Amino acid sequence: MDVSQYLEIFIDETAEHIQSLSDNIMELEREPDNEDTINEIFRAAHSLKGMAGTMGFKRMQHLTHDMENVFQEVRSGNVKVSSEMIDILFQCLDAIEGYLDAVKTTSDEGTEDNEAIIAALNRFLAVEENKEQKEDVAAKDHAKTGKVYEKKYLDIAFSENEKKALREAEEAGQNIYGLTVYVQKECLLKAARAFLVFKAVEELGQILVYSPSSQDIEDERFDQEFSFYLASESDYDAVRRAVVHVSEIETVVGEQLKYGAIEEHVRKTEAAAPIAQSEAPAAVSPKSEPATRDAKQPAAKGKTANKPVTNRTVRVDIEKLDALMNQVSELIIAKNSLVSISAADNGGSQNQTFHEQIEYLERITTNLHESVMKVRMVPIESVVNKFPRMIRDLARKLNKKMELYMTGEDTELDRTVVDQIGDPLQHLLRNSADHGLESAQLRAKRGKPETGTIRLNAFQEGNNVIIEVSDDGNGIDTESVKAKAIDRGLVSPEQAEKLSQKEIIDFLFMPSFSMAKKITDVSGRGVGLDVVKSNIETLGGDVEVKSKLGEGTTFIVRLPLTLAIIQALMVEIRDEKYAIALGSIQNIEDIPVKDIKYVQAEEVIHLRGMVIPLIRLDQILDIEPKEEEPESLTVVIVKKGDKFAGLVVDNLMGQQEIVIKSLGKYINNNNKLISGATILGDGEVALILDVNTLM
Amino acid sequence: MAEQLEVIRNERKQYIVVKIGNEQYGIDISYVDNIVRMQKITRVPKAQSYFKGVINLRGEVVPVMSLRTKMGLEADVFTNASRIIILKLEQQGLFGVIVDEVKEVVTLGAAEIEKSGQSVNGSGESFINGIGKNGEELISLLDINTIVDDRENV
Repeated sequence: MDVSQYLEIFIDETAEHIQSLSDNIMELEREPDNEDTINEIFRAAHSLKGMAGTMGFKRMQHLTHDMENVFQEVRSGNVKVSSEMIDILFQCLDAIEGYLDAVKTTSDEGTEDNEAIIAALNRFLAVEENKEQKEDVAAKDHAKTGKVYEKKYLDIAFSENEKKALREAEEAGQNIYGLTVYVQKECLLKAARAFLVFKAVEELGQILVYSPSSQDIEDERFDQEFSFYLASESDYDAVRRAVVHVSEIETVVGEQLKYGAIEEHVRKTEAAAPIAQSEAPAAVSPKSEPATRDAKQPAAKGKTANKPVTNRTVRVDIEKLDALMNQVSELIIAKNSLVSISAADNGGSQNQTFHEQIEYLERITTNLHESVMKVRMVPIESVVNKFPRMIRDLARKLNKKMELYMTGEDTELDRTVVDQIGDPLQHLLRNSADHGLESAQLRAKRGKPETGTIRLNAFQEGNNVIIEVSDDGNGIDTESVKAKAIDRGLVSPEQAEKLSQKEIIDFLFMPSFSMAKKITDVSGRGVGLDVVKSNIETLGGDVEVKSKLGEGTTFIVRLPLTLAIIQALMVEIRDEKYAIALGSIQNIEDIPVKDIKYVQAEEVIHLRGMVIPLIRLDQILDIEPKEEEPESLTVVIVKKGDKFAGLVVDNLMGQQEIVIKSLGKYINNNNKLISGATILGDGEVALILDVNTLM
Repeated sequence: MAEQLEVIRNERKQYIVVKIGNEQYGIDISYVDNIVRMQKITRVPKAQSYFKGVINLRGEVVPVMSLRTKMGLEADVFTNASRIIILKLEQQGLFGVIVDEVKEVVTLGAAEIEKSGQSVNGSGESFINGIGKNGEELISLLDINTIVDDRENV
């Protein structure tokens, strides 16, 4: 059986179920008696089992089946949730994830049987569960809902062709069966089920009429049932058996029909009432279906109403989006060159419309860029969701009490960034759990609550997204970091005395500089913060640390919202042009030279109650100094977090949308002053200043 | 020597002959992506001294290096004949080298190439992996991989 076309759906949905299981099991640990949670877990395990079965992944099916059994018992109150059970359940999840990873890479589940886990699961079962019991429950469920299985196949409106086919089949001496198949409510790959049903019955005969159309069934545009007419030489029981044999089929209703009787029925419904007519096509057209169904079964309303939503999304390969983004970049470069031609022609004879059209084009390209960017944005949720589980495991492993609080999981970032941010964040969290938080005794002695707190806050700030990882633990002991740095020969004791707090903390980001007193398998092997830092820097971001000894540490990760195109202010220093990201610019000031003050021999300006250090870009960028100092300076005030600095430039050239290009691997850019280059409208290359490293 | 063996195997290779100062250099044509006229080069602060900066090559930002600075010769003087040869390395992508003049393309066989690992400019570094003889003229064959090798910063 070819199910490969469902593989992608299977992978995505399995991942979703694993996530929901993980969330719910955590919830269960907190409230072992919450029935909703138990039911939710049962449903997810059941769906996983069903999906694995459909795809032919026997081992995965086996494992999820046993998980489901355990929950069956929990649900019926025979077994109590215990902390060992939670542990085993998490192991199950890991095992399922292992299967899923194998499926992702090889399209096969692999050969790991996970017998140990299965055995552990079965130990929880007070009574060996058997199939009948389960079906019993299933039957009870149905009895509760009081569902009536209608013979929907009678409502089909036939086309002339279909009538002809039915007539001919009967004339050829075949039996005609009308069947309506009801799929289980929890069934996820309904189209796959339908496919299996059709495949099974087609071995016995030929399907003449589908309702909804075969295309709609294939696209899963049907609710819980579908109908078809089959011409076959076998008897009804054989057909019925073939259908019921497919798993996750709730029931099937049907009978053998004579063509005459079918036609009679159709005529009757058509003639009897015009209202009934609206019902007949309803079965065919999925669009009007919800309306009629609503009237009949108000209970099914929620389910039918949100059905079409799933069809409005499209899965797109990220590479296609990359290609699209590149083309938008090219378009913006082309547009910029048109704009510069238009600007150069300012006083010329070109007519008004030309300039208007250029402005129009500018607006369109900006909107286009924004749309493409939005398409690429995904919430960081997919990454941070796994953290609560990780912290729980760490808490047990480290034997510390801790709680993770997360906010801003819905903050969106470029897909490429989200894909790569997981590892660094995970590392920072481990760091907080292992090094940050103190042991319970020490916490008690310091008068802190016994349970340590780790927070992960994400939010947007201008063109950046900030993710803060903080703990209320020990904080960084700068004295011992200093001692270690001296010990390592990184600084002399005299130099060390002069180092600022920040400079000392920066040592932690140096390769193989680990502060862990003993090496645990959680952290402390010296591959750590430096990797975090370089990972984040490759994404165009940076990390900052704030720490207070005894009170806690906060790591602030700053990431660019997008990687490709930004709004920038173009400035001129002598004859060189540089771009500064607009997102980090606070405002622009004209400062008379006489207003410059000195603090510790550094130039500062006093602006609206703030003391802001001046940065002479010409000195930093090795540009020849001006022969004479002008009377006033143009200063671009930039902002990084709550810090400000004033960049001295010669000229402002205006705001522009720029496409970020990499400088490549050849040029040394060790101090990272330049975050990239861009191509201006006239074809010239301008460099982009990285404000974050300037400060 | 791997290069040497390769030359023998491939028998004849084509080289672009360029002039830098008074010497003629040959660049293996299989590395050459393009030859462009001199254009405005944007300086990159804090870069290695032999990198003059970056240029815009059909929408791509390409770094350009001065072979003169790299080899310790006097600074470039740009004339009408100056060209930037755009080279492509599999791993690291495009980069350009500035030459005084592009002369011709020659085909050299293994017999016409004399292997040389010796330093020619006396600085102890060698960017040359052989000397080609084209009739009466001598052509120093540039070893592209050592040109981009970043020994200055180690």
